[in-house]
Amino acid sequence: MKTIAAIEAFADRYDLAIVGAGPAGLAAASLAVAHGVDVVVLDENASPGGQIYRAVTSTPMTRREILGEDYWRGVELVQEFSGSASSYAPSTTVWNVARGLDGDSLGRDFEIGVSLRGKARLLRAKEVILATGAQERPFPIPGWTLPGVMTAGAAQIALKSSGLVPDGHLVLAGTGPLLYLVAAQLIEAGASIRALLDTTPRANWMSALTATPGFLASPYLAKGLALLRMVHRRLDVVGGITALRAEGQKRLNRVAFERAGRRTELDCDLLLLHQGIVPSINLSNAIGCAHDWDDVQLAFRPQVDAWFASTVQGVAIAGDSAGIAGGESAAARGRIAALGAAFRLERIGAGQRDRDAAPLRAELALLARGRRFLDVFHRPAKAFRVPSDDATLVCRCEEVSAKTIRETVMLGACGPNQMKAFTRCGMGPCQGRLCGLTVTEMITDARAVSPAEVGYYRLRPPVKPVTLAEIAALPQTADAEKAVAR
Amino acid sequence: MSDVRLETDIAVIGGGLVGAAIAYGLAREGRAVRVLDEGDVALRASRANFALVWVQSKGLGMPEYAAWTRASAAAWPALAAALREDTGIDVGLSQPGGFTLALSEAEMQRRMEMTRLLHNQPDMVKYDYEILDHAQTSKRLPAIGRDVVGSIYCPLDGHVNSLRLFRCLHQAIKRYGVGYHPNCAVETITPIAQGFALEGSFGELRAGKLVLAAGLDNARLAPMVDLEAPVVPSKGQIIVTEKVAPFLTYPMHTLRQTDEGGVMIGDSQEDHGFDTAVTTAVISVMAQRAVRMFPLLAKLNVVRTWSALRVMSPDGFPIYAQSRIHPGAFLATCHSGVTLAANHALTLAPAIARGGLPRGTSSFTSERFHVPTLA
Repeated sequence: MKTIAAIEAFADRYDLAIVGAGPAGLAAASLAVAHGVDVVVLDENASPGGQIYRAVTSTPMTRREILGEDYWRGVELVQEFSGSASSYAPSTTVWNVARGLDGDSLGRDFEIGVSLRGKARLLRAKEVILATGAQERPFPIPGWTLPGVMTAGAAQIALKSSGLVPDGHLVLAGTGPLLYLVAAQLIEAGASIRALLDTTPRANWMSALTATPGFLASPYLAKGLALLRMVHRRLDVVGGITALRAEGQKRLNRVAFERAGRRTELDCDLLLLHQGIVPSINLSNAIGCAHDWDDVQLAFRPQVDAWFASTVQGVAIAGDSAGIAGGESAAARGRIAALGAAFRLERIGAGQRDRDAAPLRAELALLARGRRFLDVFHRPAKAFRVPSDDATLVCRCEEVSAKTIRETVMLGACGPNQMKAFTRCGMGPCQGRLCGLTVTEMITDARAVSPAEVGYYRLRPPVKPVTLAEIAALPQTADAEKAVAR
Repeated sequence: MSDVRLETDIAVIGGGLVGAAIAYGLAREGRAVRVLDEGDVALRASRANFALVWVQSKGLGMPEYAAWTRASAAAWPALAAALREDTGIDVGLSQPGGFTLALSEAEMQRRMEMTRLLHNQPDMVKYDYEILDHAQTSKRLPAIGRDVVGSIYCPLDGHVNSLRLFRCLHQAIKRYGVGYHPNCAVETITPIAQGFALEGSFGELRAGKLVLAAGLDNARLAPMVDLEAPVVPSKGQIIVTEKVAPFLTYPMHTLRQTDEGGVMIGDSQEDHGFDTAVTTAVISVMAQRAVRMFPLLAKLNVVRTWSALRVMSPDGFPIYAQSRIHPGAFLATCHSGVTLAANHALTLAPAIARGGLPRGTSSFTSERFHVPTLA
């Protein structure tokens, strides 16, 4: 592995650029390099591992039982990658990936806008694999913007990378495997947790079991049950929560919740919210890849083929950014995507590609067993996805309330892009990450149509922040000059 | 609206700034109006306008356009007041005058020459402007960089919050009972005995009168009622920065700070057909020029870049016309939907309601494209 520490150290051109150094990106890089592909891995974190294996080689949390055995599995992936001939650019943001236009000097190459230590540069690559992972689903409840409310994922990041255990009394609320994992990790780390408020709809049990009798044979079952037992034994777990409200004047003082029609309040200093993860699609959306609505996972995911190639030729999407399947699947998906890229780059033939992919596909099939149970079981309730309380903020950046969104649908804004023009929602620095799904689902609800018909924000570069000075220093052309200084 | 037959006094095709402003004006005249619009994803020049109410530099080659523009800027306070009364929304109109900054002597000379030619035209409307050197410019714009060699200032220029204007117009037309129908692209228009029949997947709408305000789609729709709209796309790219404390009250023609704090940088022009990709080279030139104009911008994060298609006629001026063969069918198309919004709502729409075009707009018909050039 060759670490790139300064913007000047990049080559002008690579065969393959991989965005993200989580399990999918790392596995893809190691395999592609082994087939003679010239690879650069671009990652915004300071060390490899992505979210799931964040800081796995540098965390101060070295007591293995705190973060759990699954976490330490990341060490192997990182070691394999470190021993490879891949180029690796940590602390690097990718703010744009664009295809060359017909007739311009790029030809069929992609132009990748990267930024490292305050300097931007445009790289070229023949193939791109997006391994940008997942993000937490928005959880718009009244008061979710108060200081003292954060996501369970954010708390986990602090725990993994800095060994930061939150002070004061905690409450966790929501649904999803990660919520219970974070609860278990925080218990082990010695946090003071008052309760876990589980918002999983009661009816999910039944629909999940009927949908997937095969779950009983799934590897997730034993692991999941052990986690549940541990959390239930050591925490006050309150199920059947139908409403949540974060309360306080300047910051969070308490959380109010409803259960079986009864309202209860709990004093706390920190509320950790989580209701599942969804694919991180900002970059694939900005590139122009087609996306489908997944009605079970309740999220958009890019259309990919058997090699995880997207609808834009030369762009593959692996790992959770292609649809949530978990960290182990992500590595297998990354390897399959790498085989596809190596084939398109003519490093391997179709025979070898298919042979090498076969065991990976078998592994994926095994890992997929029972996955559907998790998806159906943890499907968050509509009450927590489509806020009914008028004052709840939907777009935090531009402070657009649920009331404004609903009124604007009545005014005729039929989709998220018109909604943007009417209300500014999604126009802030988060690029719609914290409101996009909520806005789509609210319009869907108000218009009584499908989310697929409503669609999503059309995103544009930069998908990550970059300064005007950095952009101003990029290469220019005579045509571009003429288009501006008339 | 689905598979039903509807009737209305006047149908407006297009729900962007041009269509909404005309619908607003018609509704204020007491007419029953329906607006048919495309869906969430459409070309929509309105989503990428630069929000200027801009007078200087407009009308070289057509002094009537300079007068029309100037009149609209003068009518803007009345429009803003009417909208505030109807909706309670302040669209943030500010008309402190505007600057065109030059970054080299050659640019300055070119701008001065264009301004001289503009104002020397016969029948040119008279208004003030000033030519300023660096020191004079920096007295009014202390944040300018050393590279600014001079500027042209015109006291008539201004800007608004264009997204708020967009929402406000829609809120206002709803209040007047205008039917707004998104996802209702019009496929055919058929002149009938008492007006026009508009058809699409939505069904049929019969209207006594018709206003084509469909932007680039006017090129397709106009011939259906024996009008002509030879408009083509002209790509413009825009950069928007994060919000910062106010430092710039005056708008420039390529740069302005919005009343929400973000800085918009824009006004590239390219002919690339219907392509709307943002291109780094153009964005980079825009960013570099912006930083040279105002060095304090360098450290700001770019929140968004954007590109959209202007609706450009062969000479760049608006087209307003009524069909000779099918009276009652009107056409309105321009690339200055914000600047001209006041005229569209307060002058054009009332005239259309009465059955004609406003006085002083006869040179805006598409017939001008067929006049043989005199040697």
